[in-house]
Amino acid sequence: MPVVQRLAESGWLPESLKYAFVFNSLVAALILGPVLGGIGTLVVTKRLAFFSQAIGNAALTGVAIGIILGEPYTSPYVSLFSFCIIFGMAMVFTKNRTKMTTDTLIAVFLCISLAIGACILLYVTAKVNVHVLDNVLFGSILTVNELDLNVLFVISFICIFCGLGFYNRMVLSSFNPNLARVRGIKVIFLDYLFILMVTIITVASVKIIGAILVEALLVIPAASARNLSRSMRGFFFYSATFSTLSCVIGIVVPMELEIPVPSGGAIILVAAFFFAVTTAIMWLKRAYPALGKI
Amino acid sequence: MLTKNEDPPRGPSICFEMVGLSLSNITILQDVSFTVKAGDMHCLIGPNGGGKTSLILSLLGQMPHTGRIEINWTGGTTIGYVPQVLDFDRTLPVTVNNFMTMICQNMPAFIRTRKRYKDIINNALRLVSMDTKGERRLGKLSGGEMQRVLFAQALIPFPDLLILDEPGAGIDSVGSRVIEEIILVLKKQKVTMVWINHDLKQVKQMADAVTCIHKQVLFSGTPDEVLTTERVFQAFGTTSTGP
Repeated sequence: MPVVQRLAESGWLPESLKYAFVFNSLVAALILGPVLGGIGTLVVTKRLAFFSQAIGNAALTGVAIGIILGEPYTSPYVSLFSFCIIFGMAMVFTKNRTKMTTDTLIAVFLCISLAIGACILLYVTAKVNVHVLDNVLFGSILTVNELDLNVLFVISFICIFCGLGFYNRMVLSSFNPNLARVRGIKVIFLDYLFILMVTIITVASVKIIGAILVEALLVIPAASARNLSRSMRGFFFYSATFSTLSCVIGIVVPMELEIPVPSGGAIILVAAFFFAVTTAIMWLKRAYPALGKI
Repeated sequence: MLTKNEDPPRGPSICFEMVGLSLSNITILQDVSFTVKAGDMHCLIGPNGGGKTSLILSLLGQMPHTGRIEINWTGGTTIGYVPQVLDFDRTLPVTVNNFMTMICQNMPAFIRTRKRYKDIINNALRLVSMDTKGERRLGKLSGGEMQRVLFAQALIPFPDLLILDEPGAGIDSVGSRVIEEIILVLKKQKVTMVWINHDLKQVKQMADAVTCIHKQVLFSGTPDEVLTTERVFQAFGTTSTGP
């Protein structure tokens, strides 16, 4: 860190890196980008985009509970993690034991969580300035501190470790659970593990990207990557790249140009830009097949 | 000294005893009892919705069935399973090679295929004449091609018991012939096979034994014995809905 600051002061690196919060948020972006992009390919493959949205909404409720319980409003991690993990696990548990279609089930859970959140928020706003919640909902790089970075490090490490170790098996379980079981894959266990991964990485991203918008970074880069790629290699690496670029550009550009927007919003807009461009490329390739060979 | 043909079968024998299955109060299987001999190619036939797939899933230990299913292993205990379909988004960029790689190794398929699996995968795909289509996307395969890929994965590692759940439609004649050829090879190796088959002509030509399932066992025996026109008509005629 001091090295970076010195380089920034002597003009080798952008001036804004002098500030600790800028440095912190960029480090966070560089870790979060690839992890979210990578997990995103699994979210898209397993068709769980809506699922991760529900967890994002649960994060809002988690924050509200945290503030009510007296945790610091900038980092109510205990409540956030506890509520979101219970919420995610309850959703998988119910999914495995009901004949309801997944989208109905998720909608039910999503609404319950929002309702709890809405009720608690009323009390919260009496305690703290309501604008504090904006940071949680849409992300703010100004509040990223050492604790947030440490949480992010640990969570990312867990996600990378589990994600790489179980990637193939998670995909196979979603392709055909019976085949997966014959091949000795613990389908139910992986179901829970995957939702746990999505849940903890969502919570860890709340400070930078915001509770509501994390899901977008799990879905949009992977969707963009799918537009361009022919194999899993391209799918994964494009997704990780788009996600990382979105995070970095979304943080750096508004800061350098002094545009006062929430970091989460900016990050997702950059991701959306990538999506628009890749979709256009795909359309062009379809309309003019000769282009596909270039 | 045993000659090749007198080798003991590598596949197990399977004994179904009073197997029953009810899901949410609907009886799917009832008192199903029959035996699959070691090294036999045993076909399951019967009308759609008759419980063949449920019986196979019970055999694989994936259904809360009643009764007893005993697999008497004689040598190895590797099960190859060919499912009917894969349930995936057809626009996903997953190639045939990616899929086969996921079957073989734990290292994520997007990194690379380990060297030692490359040949194994290629050989399996060559057996089903799909080796030239390794870079094809799964979503762009025809029904028959998909079936051949699913067959190829069941050959890794080489199975002692092969269970095939064939879809009722969507298999082209090329695919059908390719699969027949491999089945003959497996038969020579005395692999036990349980095959849900909808092609009665194929069953008559190739099967050592056949069992017709429609909730219960309608008949069971060698194809020559049991596959009479009358019986087949009875089995499949009962479900016809047309006038």
